[in-house]
Amino acid sequence: MSRIIGIDLGTTNSCVAVLDENQRPETIASAEGERTIPSWVSWAASGQIAVGTRARRQAVTNASATVYGVKRLIGRKVNAEDVSWFARLAPFRIVAAPNGDAWVRVHGQPISPQEVAAHILRRIKQVAEEALGEPVTRAIVTVPAYFDDAQRQATRDAGQIAGLDVIRILNEPTAAALAYGAHRVKEGRRLIAVFDLGGGTFDISIMSVDNGIFEVLATGGDSALGGEDWDRRMLERIVDEVFDQYRVDLTGIPMAMSRLRESCENAKKALSVETETTIQLPFLANDQHGAPINYERVVTREQIEGLTKDLLDRLESPCARALSDAGMQPTDLEEVLLVGGMTRWPAVEQMVEKFFHKKPSKGANPDEVVALGAAQYAGILAGDSNDAALLDVTPHDIGIKVGDSQFAVVLPRNSMLPVRARRLFATTHENQKFVSIELYQGDSQDVTKNRKLGQVVLDDLTPGPAGSTRVELVITVDVESILSVTAREPKSGREASVTIRPSGGLSQREIVEIINRRRQENSQAARLPEMESGGVRVTTREHSVHSLKPPTGDPEKK
Amino acid sequence: MATGPLSIKLRCASWQQLATIYKRDLSRGTMFLKATSPPALGTTVRIDLTLPSASVIVLTGTVDQHVTDPARGAGVELKLAPIAPASIYMIESALASESKRRATPAAGVQIVAPLQSGGTGPVAALADGEEVGAAEQDLVKALIAEADSLRKLNPFLVLGVGYEASDADVRAAFGELTKRYHPDLFTRYESTQLRQTAAEIFILIRDAYRRLGDETGRAQALAALGRTAAPRAVPLRATPPPVPVGPPRPPVPRPVTSQPLPRPPEARMPERPDPPPLPRAHTDHSPTSRPGDMPTAKPHVISLTPGDALTSRPGDSVTERPPSGAMPAAPTPRSMAIPRMTGAEPGRSQPTPTVPLPPGQTFPSNPAPNPAAKVSSSSSMKPASGTEPPPPLQTDRRLPINASPPPVITENSDSTVLEDMLDAGKLDEALAAYKVMAKKYPSDRTFRAGIELTEGLRSLAARDRLEAAQRFEAALEIDPSNERAARELADMRRQATNERKGLLTRLMGKKEA
Repeated sequence: MSRIIGIDLGTTNSCVAVLDENQRPETIASAEGERTIPSWVSWAASGQIAVGTRARRQAVTNASATVYGVKRLIGRKVNAEDVSWFARLAPFRIVAAPNGDAWVRVHGQPISPQEVAAHILRRIKQVAEEALGEPVTRAIVTVPAYFDDAQRQATRDAGQIAGLDVIRILNEPTAAALAYGAHRVKEGRRLIAVFDLGGGTFDISIMSVDNGIFEVLATGGDSALGGEDWDRRMLERIVDEVFDQYRVDLTGIPMAMSRLRESCENAKKALSVETETTIQLPFLANDQHGAPINYERVVTREQIEGLTKDLLDRLESPCARALSDAGMQPTDLEEVLLVGGMTRWPAVEQMVEKFFHKKPSKGANPDEVVALGAAQYAGILAGDSNDAALLDVTPHDIGIKVGDSQFAVVLPRNSMLPVRARRLFATTHENQKFVSIELYQGDSQDVTKNRKLGQVVLDDLTPGPAGSTRVELVITVDVESILSVTAREPKSGREASVTIRPSGGLSQREIVEIINRRRQENSQAARLPEMESGGVRVTTREHSVHSLKPPTGDPEKK
Repeated sequence: MATGPLSIKLRCASWQQLATIYKRDLSRGTMFLKATSPPALGTTVRIDLTLPSASVIVLTGTVDQHVTDPARGAGVELKLAPIAPASIYMIESALASESKRRATPAAGVQIVAPLQSGGTGPVAALADGEEVGAAEQDLVKALIAEADSLRKLNPFLVLGVGYEASDADVRAAFGELTKRYHPDLFTRYESTQLRQTAAEIFILIRDAYRRLGDETGRAQALAALGRTAAPRAVPLRATPPPVPVGPPRPPVPRPVTSQPLPRPPEARMPERPDPPPLPRAHTDHSPTSRPGDMPTAKPHVISLTPGDALTSRPGDSVTERPPSGAMPAAPTPRSMAIPRMTGAEPGRSQPTPTVPLPPGQTFPSNPAPNPAAKVSSSSSMKPASGTEPPPPLQTDRRLPINASPPPVITENSDSTVLEDMLDAGKLDEALAAYKVMAKKYPSDRTFRAGIELTEGLRSLAARDRLEAAQRFEAALEIDPSNERAARELADMRRQATNERKGLLTRLMGKKEA
């Protein structure tokens, strides 16, 4: 039986699920019995890599080499505002790759977020294989709906580096809705909103669930807003207080920052239930005179709410925009589903209730529902369930640059996939010989604020006065969000087309290097040859490494 | 086998088999294939290697030498092109995990077996997967044919809903089609080509859904079809049996249905003067256009009095058809409809079709060309989006109506009678009648198309689907607005797709077993 696992690769925790024999999704627990795996990776000085809870335990003792929150970095530039914020308070180093991407530096080695994510995925794969008793190669990985193509591709690349065949990237709120709708008996059409506030990202999706058809009507969000921002506010406050009181800057002490961060997160969790809690950190650091600081502070829910009021406000505008994109009023919705750990925070729940005029439903375990939905979707793709289909949308406008920096939208956001859109353009110069059409993705009118996807050049245009020559641009986006673009001059029939493979920041060559390095490490461990000790004369690994050259960029691999 | 590069499918039922292939073949960059009649050296071969976990790895290679292996029999040795490290790593890590799981040395012994027997699992024969491959190709062809026939249908017919469908009807129809054609549901077949062709069909379905999803959209689509709910819909419901999708009769001013076809309006000009299109055109019911057409009208046409037409309409969704005539009204919905058909989202502001492009890459466009382009943009709009043709067409259409009113009515009634005959299954009678009419009005496409249509229905009744399909195609060729033929053709193709899907699924199931 061919199993496809569904992976929720979260900012703070990850989760994996699979369909059982009765086609019901089920989360997979690790050998230690955990149903979620902390998205943490730690490098010991010896080079030994720990993932999950084991890594998290090292956060204090090995703070500068213990990485978390890579989902905030994957496919992003180091100069993005929220990335630099994250960098300031993270106990590990975040550095710029040559192309400006945000990487981490561990023991002096720069490491791409893709590679860090791959370690987490590899661990997840291993957990699944142990539980299922068979090798797993196929996976569906979820990402926030609001991720752009680069972030999605980077996530795919991480899967590839982990030895996984990522057959689809699925949007988290869609997955949640799928898991949630699956348990319902068939009824009429239901309009729902999925409000997904995780550790590092926020998504809002307006969906229609009708007789097995899950149709996303509109989606929006903020790919850099999540529970960790609440922790961070608390952390910043305490760092300031400590500085005022003891004149010690904790941000320079990774171990202290790590402990503090952990305490803040725990305090937040406690305050989701209680109104008051105490943070106690004995021997947090030494003060100016070398005396230990035994930090202790009472924190109330009210205080934290005061510190994070603006974060709550930031949740509203994406909701309003998604609703208006879907052409709806809050009252049109039958239900609002809460997903993600941060929706346990009372103020978030209140905000949702106030905005949508109804009490949100908390459904199943908000930490597992996304992975469950991904497993459900695996069933659809594998042909196990025939009476469901999922219709997702493009999260951002796709268009081209016109004039200096204007953005002419060809395919508006929230278009159901797959889709094909056309738009005509005209030349701007007399006897213009060619046009170079640059494609962008984003929501800004100003093209420079959007992300460039690629370009297509059409030359040998029919000469004529400015504006006389038409170029028709056709953009097709398939269900896997892969974009193909054709530019055509109707008059001459001349055309040029490209399929745009989004780049997640790593080139194919870099990915191959990482994989080959990994293969070599594996072969030193020499696990494979012991499989066949009798019979076949085993071809040595050295041989195999040499005979399998890096690919010439085989793009057909699915 | 097929032409072009040879394609074989190799399934590993177990990880043991994969381990053998990995050791024996992949790690050496070669692959042995059994072949009774080995292909020439240098032939390109594509191998879809399916892992036990159902991941597919595509290998390509060329025939390097012909060998007769004592253990494995006659065959060829392929030299494989470099395999993507990601694929190799996927195999290795899967095998590593498998070996960790079953660390028994006995595993090795099992591996030898297939190697020596050479037959079963892992030694691929050149003809492997031929059946599945052929079934896949058949399904691809069926899907392409289906997409072609769907392109000829108006959005109502694409979804298979009646012209007075409600939101819920449209959604339900769309839901059903989605469960058949969404590309996700083709992922199980492993062939990317299948997924792509399914996506082509799904795009047509979703565009139709986008257009008809709400009331205003449907009103616009109806208007674009020249089928304002108005006088048409009412009599339709009143007199003949209330067939929703039914023989959609006075269908559709040509331009719309034929839109997908490259049919410049000018090309149609010569035909327009002749009487036949008129009957249909007169459904255009603009008050101005019907001086003499009332008197002889048959039952369904009776209500076509101007007064009736306007008053009997209130219940209908289409309200914006002004009595001032279809002329000014028509272009608007149409010009709106067109961008949508081409796939843009309706709900959102539709761009003006023309926007200045940046000049060649580097230089920033100076202010001068921009306004210039904008000016031209308005003029470019029409040729560009195809909005121009309709208005003149409609004007023209009205002229002949005025010119020759009487035949209009008789024919109109005749053609509806004929269609009723078809509905009633009186094919022979209908055929005879169509022939008579075609003789009488040799320039009328409707009747000539009717002959082909009826012949097609007869063939269908006789289970000669090939002939039927050709007849329907011919009918459409003659008269692209013949909805009946388009619908029959689409139905046939849908059925063909279903059968091929079933076959492929069965074949794949057999392979797995």
